[in-house]
Amino acid sequence: MEKSTVVCKCEEINIDEIESAIKIGAHTFDDIKRLTRCGMGPCQAKVCTNLVRQIISECTNKPLSDIKPSKMRMPLKPTRIGVLAGSQESSSVISVFSETAPEDGDSSNG
Amino acid sequence: MLSLSLVRRLQRMVIQAMAKKYDVVIIGSGVIGSSIAYHLSESKEKEILVIDKDFPLSGTSGSTQAWVWVHNKTPAWYGELSMYSAELYPFLEKKIGDVEYKRTGGIAPFFDEADREKALRLAEKQAEVGIEIDVLNREQVLEKEPALSPNIAGATFSKIDGNVNPFRLVELYIKASKKNQVQFSFYNPVIDIEKENGVYKIITKSETYFAKQLILAGGPWTKEIGNMLGVDIPVKQVRGQIIVTEPLAPILKHTIGGMRQADNGEVLIGYSKEEVGYDRRTTLDVIQDTAKMAMDYLPDLAKANIVRCFSGVRVMPNDGLPILGPIPTMDNAYIAVMHSGITLSPLVGTLMTELLTEGETSIDLNRLKLDRFNEFNASV
Repeated sequence: MEKSTVVCKCEEINIDEIESAIKIGAHTFDDIKRLTRCGMGPCQAKVCTNLVRQIISECTNKPLSDIKPSKMRMPLKPTRIGVLAGSQESSSVISVFSETAPEDGDSSNG
Repeated sequence: MLSLSLVRRLQRMVIQAMAKKYDVVIIGSGVIGSSIAYHLSESKEKEILVIDKDFPLSGTSGSTQAWVWVHNKTPAWYGELSMYSAELYPFLEKKIGDVEYKRTGGIAPFFDEADREKALRLAEKQAEVGIEIDVLNREQVLEKEPALSPNIAGATFSKIDGNVNPFRLVELYIKASKKNQVQFSFYNPVIDIEKENGVYKIITKSETYFAKQLILAGGPWTKEIGNMLGVDIPVKQVRGQIIVTEPLAPILKHTIGGMRQADNGEVLIGYSKEEVGYDRRTTLDVIQDTAKMAMDYLPDLAKANIVRCFSGVRVMPNDGLPILGPIPTMDNAYIAVMHSGITLSPLVGTLMTELLTEGETSIDLNRLKLDRFNEFNASV
């Protein structure tokens, strides 16, 4: 494969950059990540984990099964700060009572 | 036929003859260990080895917002040390390359008007050592950072604060050290340390090394290294959790006490301290509190997406202040362990180099000595 082939689309990191990180001694996905930013973008390594593992395996002559995947952290997909903070104004849960209780001056349910 | 004990003795002699000897062995290749290695290597006079149980940036130095933060470090003499270190950054960058150091100025907001009194006292104290702090009112804060919340009552501000890219910083310390012939051994935990004929024998997973001078720079893990030498290093492990947004348009110019925006647009947010040992998990409760803090400081962030949370184990000396200098009970053994390693690394590298080569330092390190702690004195 071409050295310029991009393995991490989010951060645009190619094979050459991954191999350079391995050459200076990084032998795990997360160690390569911190040197190159590979896997730090919006998809959080969902696309590149196995591609990078494969390159590590080839460069270090270790079986693929010995190469750990990236560490996954919450949130597993992009989540708004407002949602994480849990502001009451944005609650999407409906109160059964207030949905059916008659409003003042409303006689139709009476 | 050779007796078994003779064979063993011969084996030991062979191992000793083959073991590599260094002038200095540094344990820990984080921001402190690699800065000391780099500064020591500048004279190219010493053979230096840095050993790490993992890979650089896998520990504390790779899980930080990396503020270069000065203005509210107290007592004032500690602020002064931080200021000298911040002052070294521009020159360091000339020497080792672009570490994305930005002297953005730092803002530490407060929400309660009653805190203004404390802010003024801080400004007065820090002025005595030359740290200039302005105490801002709401309008002045919003003039500097229009996106901050109008609920903020005021802030302390100093031009000296900033931030750096910790990944570039550690990588370039190491790259510059290698250029000066420093050796590195990664993924190689230290198993035991002995003193033999006046030199330190460092037994690691892969090899045994000898060192005339030994430096402990293992951050939170220095506690375990200390145990190998029979000394109690009075430090705690403290977990800090941080959230990272997607890249946003420029929204913050300054480093804010609690958050900063990186060059690529991501905002890093968080300031939490939990004593949970070496546990580096992310927990929803702290992440939710951090999200709330983000919105309290900067309401527009409510609409920003979080792409990741991370967490790091920091080292906290029992009195909060750096531990730096010789280990009083052991000849030629030194320690460099502190909470704010990113801020202090240029100064610590410089001072440790003076100490190891000249035996004295340009700044008095008496207040940072290990034997200020009762825990240490009780252990020896």
